[in-house]
Amino acid sequence: MIKRKKNVFVRFITNPKVQPFLSVILPVALGLFIFILWQTQVLHKLLHTDTFTLPLPSQINQIIGDNIPKIITNVKSTVLVAVIGLTIGSLIGYLIAVIATVFPKWGAGGLSIVAAFNAIPIVALAPVMTNWTKDVSKDASVRSMVAKILVVMIVSIATMSVNAYRGLNDLPVFSLDLMKSYAAKRRIVFLKLRLPNSVPYIFTALRVGVPSSVISAIVSEYFAEYITGVGRQIRENIVIAQYATAWAYIAVACIIGISMYCILMIFEGILLRNRRS
Amino acid sequence: MKLVNLMKGHGDDMRDMRRCRTKKMSAILMVAVLTMASMNGCSSKKETTKTNQTNQTTEATTTSPEGTTAADTSEAGVMSNEEIIKQAASEGKVGNWGLGNEYEIQALLTKYGQPITYLSQAFDMDGFDDDSISLASAMTFNELGLVKNSYDGGYNYGNTVGTIDMNEEGVAMLEDNIFCTKAFAMANPNTVKAFIYASMQGWKYACENPEEAAEIVYKYGSSVSPDHQAYMASEVKKLVETDMQGSAVTELGKMDEAAMQQTLQLAQQYIQLDDATAADKLSKLTLDDVRDTSYWEAAASSTDGKFGDLEKTDVTIQLKWLPQAQFMGYYVALEKGYYKEVGLNVDVVSGGGDISETTAVSNGTVDFGVTWLANLIAANAGGMDLLEVSQVYQRSGLVLVYKLDTFTK
Repeated sequence: MIKRKKNVFVRFITNPKVQPFLSVILPVALGLFIFILWQTQVLHKLLHTDTFTLPLPSQINQIIGDNIPKIITNVKSTVLVAVIGLTIGSLIGYLIAVIATVFPKWGAGGLSIVAAFNAIPIVALAPVMTNWTKDVSKDASVRSMVAKILVVMIVSIATMSVNAYRGLNDLPVFSLDLMKSYAAKRRIVFLKLRLPNSVPYIFTALRVGVPSSVISAIVSEYFAEYITGVGRQIRENIVIAQYATAWAYIAVACIIGISMYCILMIFEGILLRNRRS
Repeated sequence: MKLVNLMKGHGDDMRDMRRCRTKKMSAILMVAVLTMASMNGCSSKKETTKTNQTNQTTEATTTSPEGTTAADTSEAGVMSNEEIIKQAASEGKVGNWGLGNEYEIQALLTKYGQPITYLSQAFDMDGFDDDSISLASAMTFNELGLVKNSYDGGYNYGNTVGTIDMNEEGVAMLEDNIFCTKAFAMANPNTVKAFIYASMQGWKYACENPEEAAEIVYKYGSSVSPDHQAYMASEVKKLVETDMQGSAVTELGKMDEAAMQQTLQLAQQYIQLDDATAADKLSKLTLDDVRDTSYWEAAASSTDGKFGDLEKTDVTIQLKWLPQAQFMGYYVALEKGYYKEVGLNVDVVSGGGDISETTAVSNGTVDFGVTWLANLIAANAGGMDLLEVSQVYQRSGLVLVYKLDTFTK
């Protein structure tokens, strides 16, 4: 049988050494393509909008460049809320998953209640939290911070507990039987089998949790008493019809989300390196 | 052996059933406890608010005889405006809604040398009620009525609250106006004139008959009680018929040059824009960039409301807020057929929350809009091309409200 020689292009694409690069280059190229359409106003014609409602990237960059100190203060408060809320929420979520695993009778029911929390819209939760935390501190900046963190926390608890519960219970086939055959105690089963097994699931939860914590932080800023944060700036500027500035803060919010996700990916790469064959 | 097995199986079944039953029982118990807890929580909260309210009513009634001597007690006991503002600002307890409503408050704070930061106030007065905001923003026709009065939704503070008036402090900015885009005004001059003419007739009738106007507004859909609507109508009447100095205005909807200039100047001082080009444009704006008096003058001098052929007969107006007596003139003009008389078919679109009336007008969703002059100035600085054609409110309706007992010496 004569093997037909494939052309250079196909060989290049199917080359296993090139493929990882392609998986990066192609999305970037698509992004760049949209970016060019945007800057050259082709996108505006396609979407029937104008440069006022959808300002040009160059203008957005200009505004970001002009206001770096102000943006940094706003970013700090948003990131602080997102990170603290996510950390506390994830810890509590994991704890709930552990309790649910130790007491399986109550656990399943308890988890579904926790999962129900996930269905509460942030817009509904944020004003309630603002009212609840009125007595926390005399300082409005402190009590607003607590209110916002509580919102992020509640959102992150649900994702973490549901995923961690799966990680603690969806064990490799026969591994539990194997442990039983060793007459391992429950504590040992937990420490040697369940806990390590749940680590990848923790990262799955965080992959969902990180972006949602940023979103929750931004939305809860809308309702907070103390005026600060990227979300508040977006709202203020849209209402007083400063769309270019609002877009600048939207871009900043995207950057926060993406960079937090990247940091998470790096951590995951380091911690789970040995697991990937 | 078989028998033993059977027995064992039976035993397992029994145990399973028992386990199932305990599970069910515990689930039912838990649901019951949760419901009880939530019911209990609700009722106890209601009770506390109720007792609060009764406390307040008794307080109000006991203070009402003293209310007659309120003038001299306030001189002896209550601090001056300056002292109140300084104390509230130092505690960080000055409240405003933000979102373009804060400039007068910032001007006032600057006047007394205070930093221009404020707390974000929700669209109710709970923050004022629970003392987290001691100097709260209120519109005379809306929030102030809720604070003082006892009707549905009110907080029943009666005469136990004082106010700081922006007009008296000299930091007033003009509020509700009628505006459209420059392009719309240029293309449809007769429509604009006819619309102003009919709207002003509506406002005139509403100010002469505020009770009836309140009922009309309530009929067109209302976010608040009829009592509050009636209160609002009586207060709005004052804003439409009195200027910043407190003298009577006979020509409704006129654009007072000095008041407009004061508004523009305060706007340029306190509207902070991060966009450098917009900020530059804001600093260079003049009154001619934001208003045109010719349409209103033509409407005011007309006696019959005939302005020749109307370029557009079906028009819409976007309100700044929910349907309420704040906008009674338009609803009255609709109800009494004033718009029909000049040949217009008007649709009143209510607003609320984060609806941006400037954007709605700018992108052509609606033809006319009601906004505060400062918001129009900010929008034009940001790149819109809007034009005020009539100024309905002649003075600022914004006050800062405080509890008298918080600020006694």
